[in-house]
This record gives sequence, structure tokens and C-alpha cells, in this order.
Amino acid sequence: MPEVRERPLGVIVCAADPPALDRLVAPGHGARMLRVAPDELMAVAKRDVIDDVRREIHDRITVLDDDALVVDDSDGWTAIALTGPDADRALSYLSALQPPAADDLVQGDVARVAAKIVREPDGLLVLVPAYWGEHLRTRAIEDAGGMAR
Amino acid sequence: MPSLRLDGRRLEIQDGDTIAAAAFRAGVRTFSRSLKSHRRRGLYCGTGDCANCLVTVDAMPGERACMTPARDGMRVDRETGWPSAERDALAINDKLHRFMPVGFYYKVFARPRWLWPLAERVIRRATGTGTLPLDAAARRTPTRFVRVRTLVIGGGVAGLAAAATAGGDGSVLVADEATLGARVTDPAARETVARLAAEARAAGAEILEAHAAIGIYEGPSAALLGPDELVEVEAEHVIVATGAIEAHGVFPGNDLPGVWLGRGAARMGATHGVSVGERAVVVANTGEGQQLAEALRTAGADVTLLAGRVLEARGTRQVNSVSVLTPDGRRALACDALVLSLGWAPRDTLLRMTAEPEVVGAGDVVRPGCTLAEAEASGRAASLGEADEPREADPWPIAEPDGYVCVCEDVSMHDLEHAWDEGWTSSEILKRYTTATMGPCQGALCSRHLAEHARAKGATPAARGRTTARPPVRGPRLGDLTGGVHEQVERRTALHDRHVAAGARMDHSGVWLRPGTYGDVNDEIHAVRQRVSVMDVSTLGKFLVAGRDARTLLDRVFPLDVGAIAPGRARYLLALDEAGYVMDDGLLAALHEGSYFLTSTSGGADKMEAWLRNWIDRLDLHVHLVNRTAQLGAINVTGPRARELLATLSDDDLSRGALPYPGHAEITVAGVPCRAIAVGFVGEVSFELHHPRGRSVELWNALLEAGAPWGIRPHGLDALDVLRLEKGHVYLAQDTMPDDHPAKLGLGWAVATHKEEFVGKRALERMDALPLERRLVGLRFDGPPQRGHPLALDDAIVGRITSCAVSDAAGGPVGLGWLRAVDGAFPTVLRAGDVTATVSPTPFYDPEGARLRA
Amino acid sequence: MLVTCPTCGRRPFTEFSFGGELRDVASPDTASDFARVYLHDNTSGPQEERWFHLLGCRRWVTLTRDTGTNRVEA
Repeated sequence: MPEVRERPLGVIVCAADPPALDRLVAPGHGARMLRVAPDELMAVAKRDVIDDVRREIHDRITVLDDDALVVDDSDGWTAIALTGPDADRALSYLSALQPPAADDLVQGDVARVAAKIVREPDGLLVLVPAYWGEHLRTRAIEDAGGMAR
Repeated sequence: MPSLRLDGRRLEIQDGDTIAAAAFRAGVRTFSRSLKSHRRRGLYCGTGDCANCLVTVDAMPGERACMTPARDGMRVDRETGWPSAERDALAINDKLHRFMPVGFYYKVFARPRWLWPLAERVIRRATGTGTLPLDAAARRTPTRFVRVRTLVIGGGVAGLAAAATAGGDGSVLVADEATLGARVTDPAARETVARLAAEARAAGAEILEAHAAIGIYEGPSAALLGPDELVEVEAEHVIVATGAIEAHGVFPGNDLPGVWLGRGAARMGATHGVSVGERAVVVANTGEGQQLAEALRTAGADVTLLAGRVLEARGTRQVNSVSVLTPDGRRALACDALVLSLGWAPRDTLLRMTAEPEVVGAGDVVRPGCTLAEAEASGRAASLGEADEPREADPWPIAEPDGYVCVCEDVSMHDLEHAWDEGWTSSEILKRYTTATMGPCQGALCSRHLAEHARAKGATPAARGRTTARPPVRGPRLGDLTGGVHEQVERRTALHDRHVAAGARMDHSGVWLRPGTYGDVNDEIHAVRQRVSVMDVSTLGKFLVAGRDARTLLDRVFPLDVGAIAPGRARYLLALDEAGYVMDDGLLAALHEGSYFLTSTSGGADKMEAWLRNWIDRLDLHVHLVNRTAQLGAINVTGPRARELLATLSDDDLSRGALPYPGHAEITVAGVPCRAIAVGFVGEVSFELHHPRGRSVELWNALLEAGAPWGIRPHGLDALDVLRLEKGHVYLAQDTMPDDHPAKLGLGWAVATHKEEFVGKRALERMDALPLERRLVGLRFDGPPQRGHPLALDDAIVGRITSCAVSDAAGGPVGLGWLRAVDGAFPTVLRAGDVTATVSPTPFYDPEGARLRA
Repeated sequence: MLVTCPTCGRRPFTEFSFGGELRDVASPDTASDFARVYLHDNTSGPQEERWFHLLGCRRWVTLTRDTGTNRVEA
């Protein structure tokens, strides 16, 4: 039975030219870089370092694309963690998506809303826009957390 | 000794019994009463294909007695017949069937009209099967999603052979609606199933027993219904190996209890050790006659085996004799069981649901009557990409002139003849008129008979096909279908709990949950007009648009003059589609040089994003677009005291000089960084504070606390509706229709016609050259108006009220509505029922806009 | 029915919103604009179309779908 828990995260969204994003070097501070679209990158990190992450991304990307947008989107996302050995199976109760391999990003329909899924060392992390946070939390607990087997 | 109760009567259960076996052993012969004529019906197919043995098990109706394992303590009730299946008062219907020909209910109960609701109630009672347990707790079946390379439906010889061969290659799932081998009685077949099951498992296939495939869908994908779950399977290949049943025999007396299909009778004998009778006649034109006779003899019956055509079965409560035309002539035999193996009917419903090449068949379902070895070969070939093409079963028994074609719906050969004579001359239309194939078995027994009948009557090739197969194969419970499909997915703002705590009635407003009112709409309206109020508008679509082509994009896509908006200013924005129709509206604020902040309606955010991204893509523009709808909360502070209130929470300059209308500025309120946009939707001084969502609660609380001395109240959607109406502002989709261009709405001022190119420009040029035929107008009423009420001129309806309210601020009842031009001019005085409506200029309240510019 | 998104892979069409057949972005004059906006080819067979991956990356893709078989070219 997986654990279902909301995880506070810092999120930076960077909108820039695809070639610039291709060449962007990750900022460190444990930030995970997710290329959600050719012209958009989401960096996910702990809340307490997110300002540093934003600054570093901004400094690096504006050299490659001078009108790139780098904004703090930390309040815009809710992240639900499914942890434990059953995490993948728990996801199968919420979504037809195959869970991501180690460093990949999977984007698509989870519990009927637009979600992004990444793999963490302890399970899976599902991110949805914050206005769907309560919906995902409830669905995850009822459908995935309540797994009989 | 374990036992169950059937209609209250205690019956012993032996090991491995189904409900049907336990009941039959105890002497039960009538399992149901037929739909129309209430004839006795007994066990017939014995393999879960017909609908004769449907019973209610522990309050759940519609369970097949021959497929449900009997358990100690079960409560089983027969579902038809009143007061009981054994003694049915409506059996009289059978004597009256001359007065109830096919389709009679369309004709008899049509007039007088008032009779129908009464008749319908009686008919429903008389023809219903089972009672729904309305007080049962709502049950949602867990749903899970699985993706495999190969899905095999049916765990018989062909299916397991396919799984065994495919197994090594990738993920393989086998689904069988029962336990493996449950319906296999022939010893050689049982051995083969066991061998192949072991081989399949060793090859890595996963076998899901008690999971029935109820439909095949695009993908291909399939839905499997298990006892406790629904599994939605996406597969690259689907192999349907669902086998075949014996062809349904159509002859007088064919529905008498005691008439069996071969394998069902064999199963009763070989698997459950219960003899179907003392003297059994087996009529077999397939190769299985010997095998069936053996199985019956083992259980203790005296068996006569024949080949030929069954002419008639006779009996009252059950069969007692049969007439067969054999190659040697006509024979009449006394019997208490008639077992039929007249031909094959492949269980091909699932196969016929799809034309996708990835879905193939194997075994009996495509090669009816094949041997065990042929079935195994067929399965292996299917998983190697060399599946057998479906072949029509041959022989197919001719239907005698009388007998029940559709047993589920009580449709006889005479009914088909009558219907054909009335002009229903194709299999599809015959089905709809007679309801043949529309019963619980969904044509498993009769769909080919229907097609053959049409063919025999000389129908064209197009009119004599098998009727269309659609999911579900068998009726699932509603709870099974709702698992995984949720109630309306709701979006919530960060202030949701605050609204609920304040006693708000939360409404579904499009995809959002929003407060309708906090209890007193009039008080909320007065707070806005006389004092100060706050509203949660976090639901608005919000976008950041930047990049060197940002202005080019916005100018090209929207009809407003983007260049005329100086940094620090904002403008009302209309979004038009390529036909020039209003799709959405919002605000466009110019930030520092070249970047913009755009808002849309709450319901239009997704469409706005898609719209902008489309144009960025198609016009190949260098634009960076970030959707801020979730990240930013927004609170509208509005009312004559709004500026005073904010001054107590902010050191920033909020005067008109620093924050013009319409315009915006970055300020800090109660320590929260905000972009304040001066807006005018409700017609009082308003500041829409856009701030990080994580600080919404903090900001909201601070505003309510600081506003207490002025009697601040939050307002909801109900109040907003009246407030904006008093200013004559339109609500998209309430006051507008999908084909409204700006002129119809009086919004021509929002279009910069001098611009060279913008989306919809040419369409507007085309429409502006035509006379306006319809307009949205303001209305004043001399009595209480009704939303949606038509507006009439003399006796003709020329419009409709789209919004209305009784308004203090507007000086009486006001509204908006549609008007059609009459003889080239728009009428000015109309009737709406007892009320007179006069076209009136808007805004109704503060037409000069003085309150806004304060 | 599966739609191929270049960023996210092959996905069920329910994750997308449909943008219609591919059209020119503008017309040279008012007369031809009517045809561009209203008179669609409605091809039976392969057709170029616009799809928006609403539940995924939220970007547009132009693809070819056979309107007869409802199959999207890989």
C-alpha cells in the first residue's frame, strides 16, 4: 500500500528559445530540470533554495536568449508523492500512463487532469496545477491509497 | 451441509456447484418466466450465453445461475412471475398472445393519450426482471489501467495456445470470464487446457480469471469486468478466442424447460453429476453427438442419439416428446430432455465490434466446430500474425415456421412474419420493430436467425446482415462503469476553505467551485455600492506574454490597438475567432516595454492559451507565453471606500495619478506583493489584486479585518450578476450566442477597425456591410421580469430576455435581451407576458461612469 | 484513437483538443476569406489537422489523420 502525501516544492518556469534551452546548464542546488515543451522548462527544487535556482537560471538563459522569461511558479503547482514499492501500481489506478523511467518526464492525464510525473528515489511524484491539488489528493488517497492488494 | 435459499426454500450445495446445478438437482425446472407471454423457461444453454437463468443473488439482480458458484448462505430469488415463478398469474398472457402481436403496444396504447402512463407502469411491472436494491450502499468499482503487448480474451484451448506462443515476446494478458476450464467437460479438452495453461504461465503470460471482456474499443483497447474491479486494457494486439455455442434451434416448443443446448447439458452431467433427465434425446448434426451422449449416459440418462431436423417439441410444464425428421424418415420419441447440437454459433460479438486489423480471432470463434488440434493451431497462428479469418458456421439449422426466435424478448417466427408483412423488411429494422436481439443475451442465440430470415425473404444483401454489435456485451452495473470516472472535476481557489467557513453556498461555475452568496445577496450588493467589498476572482485566466514579437502577436490576434496601450495602462480586450465572433473577453495590461499581462474569463483560460499558442506557432513568432492562472490568486477590492481601505494596508500611491483607470501598478498590500489593476466591471472603484496564490488567505484575512470598520462584506457570483447588469455589461454565453460579432453586442467600440490585419477583420468587414438583424439591448420593465422569457411584438416573438434583476441602483427592474429587427427597424416597446419591456440605453446605473473615475 | 505528440509520445485523443483541418492563416481579400473560414475540404481520406495537447505539454501539433480509418500517421 503506497503512502500518499503532498510535498511542498519550489518551481521555476523558464520560457525561452529551444536552442537556448538545449544549451542551458542545470543550476545545481538539487534542482531537477524538466523539459515540458521545446520552448519551456520547469525546474523543481526545495522551496528554500528556489530563489537561488531562479537567479541562476535567469543569469544563464538570458545570455543565450536575451528576452527569455524566468518566473517563480512555486504556488502554481501541487505535488503529490506516491511512495513505497507499490507506487507504480498505485499510479495504474489513477492513470493509463506508463510511469517514467529514471530521469524521464511523463505528461498526460492523471485522474482526468493535466499532470506531470517524475520518478523519485522513494517512488513517484505527480504535479498538477494548484487548483486541482485537492482533486488529485482526494483521488490519490481514495483510488490509489485504498488499494486492496 | 452448506446450503442456499431459493425463494426461501433451502437447497443443499455440493462441492463445485453453480446455483443452477444445486437448484436443478433439487428438482427446480422453471427458472424464469418469459417477457411477454410469461411462459416457463428452464436451463437452456448452461454456459452463460442465454438469459433463461437470470436470478437475484443476495439482492443483486441479473446474475446467471449457471455461471455463479453456489455459496453457503446465499439468498437467491427468481426475478419473474407473480406471485412466483412457479405460480405466475400472468401466465394467462400466453393464452392471449393472439391479441398481443408483435408491436401491439405501439398501436394499442397510443390512444387515448392519458392511458399510456398507466399502461406503462403495468407493462413495466409485468415485464421487468429483478428489482434494484435502491437502499444498497453506493459502490464504486476500483478501476485500473494496464498496457500489454497482447491481450487474449478467452482462456480455452485456442486462447491459451495463443498466450503460450506470444508469452515469450512481451507482456501477455489472458482474461477469461470464468475460471479456466470451468465450461469444458470433454476429458481430452480438459487435459489440453491444463497443458496449455501451464505452458502459457511458464512463458510469462498473466492469467486473469473471472474477468469478462465487456467491450472492445478503439486502440485497440478492452474493458475487463472482474468481481471487484474494472480493468481498462490497452493492447497492441487483441486475440479473441471466445469459442462457440450450439446454434439455437427454432421449432414449436423450443423454449420448453427440458430443451438444452449440448454443452450445457453435458456440463450438468459431467461436471455436476446431475442427469438432465431419465430419457434424453440428443439431436446432433455437428461432430459432437457421441461425446454429448457419453457425458449424459455417465450421469445416468438413457440416451437416444439422432441426426436430423427437429420439427416440434411438445409438453406443458416441460418437454415430454419430440418429433425429428431424420434421413430415415420422421420419428416421434418420448423424452424428458431434448439436447441440441444442430450447428454452431460463434461467440463473435466482441470480434464484430471492431474493424481494426490488430483484433483477430482464434479457435471455435473463427473456425466453429474445429478439433482440439485445430483450435490449438489456430491460437498459435494468431499470435504469430497469421490469424484465421472468420468463417461462417455450417451447417446452420433451418428455422421451422413456428417457434421462438428471440427467447429473451419472446419474439416468435410468426412475429417475424407479421412484421415483414407490415413492411419492416430488413434485419436492422426487424430488430427495432420486434425487439429481437435486444434482450439480455444481445442476440447471442438469435442474431443469425434474424439475418437468415431476411435472406430467406429475399432481402437485398445490404438488408440481410447481422445486426451491429456494440459494447457492452452484457449489462454491467452502473457502479462498475463509474469507477475511475469521477464526479465533475473541480478547480478550487486558495480561498475555498475561507468561503466555506464563512457559510458560502459554493456553486459549480463552469469548471470552478465558486461562492454564489455568503447568505444575503442584497447586503452584498449594498456593500459594493455603498461601502467596500471583496471578491475572490482567482479563477480568472492570467498570462504573461513577452519576447520580441509579443506586441506583434497580440496586435495580429486581437482587434484592439495594442500599440496605443502605454506601459502602466490597460484596455478591455475582445477575443474574436476567424469568423469575427466573440470568443472571450478580458483585459490587456502593458508592462515594461514589450511585455504584457493578459486576463481572460475564468472559463476561457484554457482556450485562450491554446488560441495564443496556435498563432505563435502558425505565424512563427518569437514569443514567450507563460500561463499564470494557477500561480496567481486575485482579489477584487471594490466600492466607494476601496481606496481608503487599501491605504490602511499599503504605503503605495493609489491615487488616480499613480494608478489610472484603466491601468495597473505594482503595490504591496498587507505585506503581500500585488499587481493592482484598476478595473470597472461592477461600476465602482475597483482594484483587482493579483498576488502569489500562496498568500491569498493572508491577504483576504487582512482585507476583511481592516475593512471591518466600514462594514466590509465579501460578495459572490449572485451579487456580481446584478452589479454588472446594472452597468449593462454582458456575460458571455448567458447574454451572447456563439455567432455574435461585436456590433451585435454593442461592443463595436472595442474594435480598432483602422488596423491592417487582425483575426476576424475580413469577416467583420463582410458583416458590417450587411444590415444588422439582431441586437443585444438594454431593457426596463414595469413589473418583475423572468430570465429566458420571450419578448413579443403584437403576437410575434421577436426576442428573449437573457439577464434580468430587480435593482435598487438602477431604479427598478432591468435586464438585457435579444431583439430581432422587424421590417428593417428594431422595436422599442415589447411584451414579456404581463410585463411591458422598453428598450433602454445602458448603463442603467451611473451612465457617466463618474463613480469609476473617482 | 491515438495521437502522436512530438514531445510526449503516442497518447489517447482524449488528452487533446481538436483544432480542425489545417487552413491558411490569412486570405488576400474579403471574398476569399469566406471560403477559407467556412468552406472546409472535409476530405475522406488522409487530412492534415491541428491538435492541441491540452492535458500534456500544451503545444500544437500538425499531423495527418485518415478520416476513413480514423488512424493517425505515426
